[in-house]
Amino acid sequence: MGVLAYQGVTKRFGRHTALDRVSLEVRSGEVFGLLGPNGAGKTTLIRIGLDILRADEGEVSLFGAPPTPRNLDRTAYLPEERGVYRRAKVRELLAYLGRLKGMKRAAARDAGDHWLERVGLSEVADQRVESLSKGMTQKVQIAACLMTDPELCVLDEPFSGLDPVNVALVTELIEERRRSGRTTLLSTHMMHQVEALCDRVALIHRGALVVYGQLDEIRRRYSPHEVMIWTTMDLVSLGLEATQRTAGCWRVELPASATPAGYLNELVRNGVLVDRYEPLVARMDEIFVHLVNGGS
Amino acid sequence: MRVHRIAAVARFEFLSVVKRWSYLLATFGLPLFLAAVSGTVLGVQTYFLSQRAAESSQFGLVDEAKVIDRSSFVEQNGELRWKANEKADEVLLYDNRDAARKDLDSGALRALYIIEHDYLATGKVRAIESEKTPLLSMRGTSIEPVLRKLLRKSLIEGRLEGDLHQRVLSPAYFVRSRLGPGGEEVVDLDETLDLLVRTTIPLFLGVLLLTALLSASGYLVQTVSTDKESKIVEVLLSSVTPEEILAGKLFGLGTAGLIQFAVWSTMVVFVAITASAALAAFVSIPWGALAVAPILFVLGYLFLGSLMLATAALGANSAESQKLTLGWAMLAILPLMVLVILLEDPHGILGQAMTWIPFTSPLTVIIRLSVDASGIAWWEVLGSMLVLLISTWLSIRVGARLFRVGFLLTGTMPSLAELWRQAR
Repeated sequence: MGVLAYQGVTKRFGRHTALDRVSLEVRSGEVFGLLGPNGAGKTTLIRIGLDILRADEGEVSLFGAPPTPRNLDRTAYLPEERGVYRRAKVRELLAYLGRLKGMKRAAARDAGDHWLERVGLSEVADQRVESLSKGMTQKVQIAACLMTDPELCVLDEPFSGLDPVNVALVTELIEERRRSGRTTLLSTHMMHQVEALCDRVALIHRGALVVYGQLDEIRRRYSPHEVMIWTTMDLVSLGLEATQRTAGCWRVELPASATPAGYLNELVRNGVLVDRYEPLVARMDEIFVHLVNGGS
Repeated sequence: MRVHRIAAVARFEFLSVVKRWSYLLATFGLPLFLAAVSGTVLGVQTYFLSQRAAESSQFGLVDEAKVIDRSSFVEQNGELRWKANEKADEVLLYDNRDAARKDLDSGALRALYIIEHDYLATGKVRAIESEKTPLLSMRGTSIEPVLRKLLRKSLIEGRLEGDLHQRVLSPAYFVRSRLGPGGEEVVDLDETLDLLVRTTIPLFLGVLLLTALLSASGYLVQTVSTDKESKIVEVLLSSVTPEEILAGKLFGLGTAGLIQFAVWSTMVVFVAITASAALAAFVSIPWGALAVAPILFVLGYLFLGSLMLATAALGANSAESQKLTLGWAMLAILPLMVLVILLEDPHGILGQAMTWIPFTSPLTVIIRLSVDASGIAWWEVLGSMLVLLISTWLSIRVGARLFRVGFLLTGTMPSLAELWRQAR
């Protein structure tokens, strides 16, 4: 059983079906990517998982049991629609949010201070949130999420509005969570971040689960059966089905039965001097566009 | 529900409100402001009314029935004049209507009284106001009682003797008195002062209770709107249940409201004690009303507050939330709308009925207790509290469910059928 598991979850708003029999699970210690176009049903799925909304049909389990206030304390949530008390002071806001997760007052204050330091905002601890920039406010919210060291952290678009330095900081914080065995559910449209961070992904489109599984396996599944070969030799004259892209760089479609590794062996055995060899793997943004536009 | 989470929400909400300048200003400044404004208004009104009252006027009298005793009139410049009272109002006696009407038309007279030919049979005296006579001045004048007295004197002149003559002219001098707070002591009391003493403290206490109730409920509406507008709702709901948020907000802001009410009540008590000393024990402090006021405030606030929170949560923004909650506030204000009836007859049917309606009971009980504590039975006070308690329990239960539905709403309002389904 995963940290968070959905089984046949359906949710309707009036006549609109936001989620249609979705089943998936987020496993312990992984970074799980929840993908999909705007309005696909990702936020609804997250809200149901955190017991903010109730499913019309299906079951949800959080840490192996239906969501309860007690096991919700082991989670943290950064919603896509960022919310803060703008008139509150940064330190007070963090202490309050920590208290709401069950921390003692002193522990919440200490954890707040620690995480403000981690995200580089110690100097604004006593300022009102309304005086901070958008990026700084977002880092305060990320600090609020991570200050309880949650076993499951749900981050909805955590990189939006951040500059590259802070994107790197948040990426590092997520990596750190993986290293310490903590689970992260990441919902984002930044596909290169998905490729860099996620172990497994699920793609939801129009309320239905379209793709679900290991990131590498999915990328391979949707990749062309082709390789890129860098060589000074003329591959066409050697009788290969190759297209020259640039000088010394060839794109070769593999025979249906061949694997990239086996094909490389064969090339070397046949005396081709290979400088560089790269099986073509589909990028997540390509897979995303392909599936959302109706591809199978 | 988890007490610590409720306490965390309550503490945060409480501190958010009490640190605001507007709260401090309202708590400590409002009673002083009200006293200053009402004092100024009363003072200005009294000054102008007394100035007006001090102005002398001329009135005309035509005696067609020939009944008036002319010995009181003095001839001046060919006119018969009578100084009618201490204000130096004068009555001019005319021989015929035409001359009198001419003076009335010219504005020389404020009003003209004609004792008609058939007066002895009908008692009819025609009163004609000048067009220029200000509104209310005719009724407000003291000329009619003295004209009546003049007529009475003229009619009995020479027909009655001694004391009987005097008693017909002045049948009774009312020497007003009432029991003081000590019990038996009888003291003279002016009618106006009596009315003031009887109504001021109940009125102030009632208005302050209502203001405190609506003010605390207003904070509730504001805090829900803030949560929704700042989009922090999801963060809160991923940590605490809607019921815990509702309870925390109710307690936190209720405490702020209670402190406000306590400060205001203390000021009223202080004023009452000071007035009591100054007015030689005319003023009795309504200790019974003051004792139950905090309980009624808490119950009334929890009842009204939970309804307001739930309704406010259905609004998309602050303006919409305030519109939605206006109805509850209007119901709570109801006793103030019929205040004159409650002050006049605190234990009448209206007062008794409103004691049992949870929206109106806090204010009604306070007014009834402070006007006349002896007229309200203890079981009425306890019963109204019990009804309020049950209503509060129900409104919190239904309110929490509606709050859950409304708190996450960002777009259109759910249908009434959907709200009913959620509230069950």
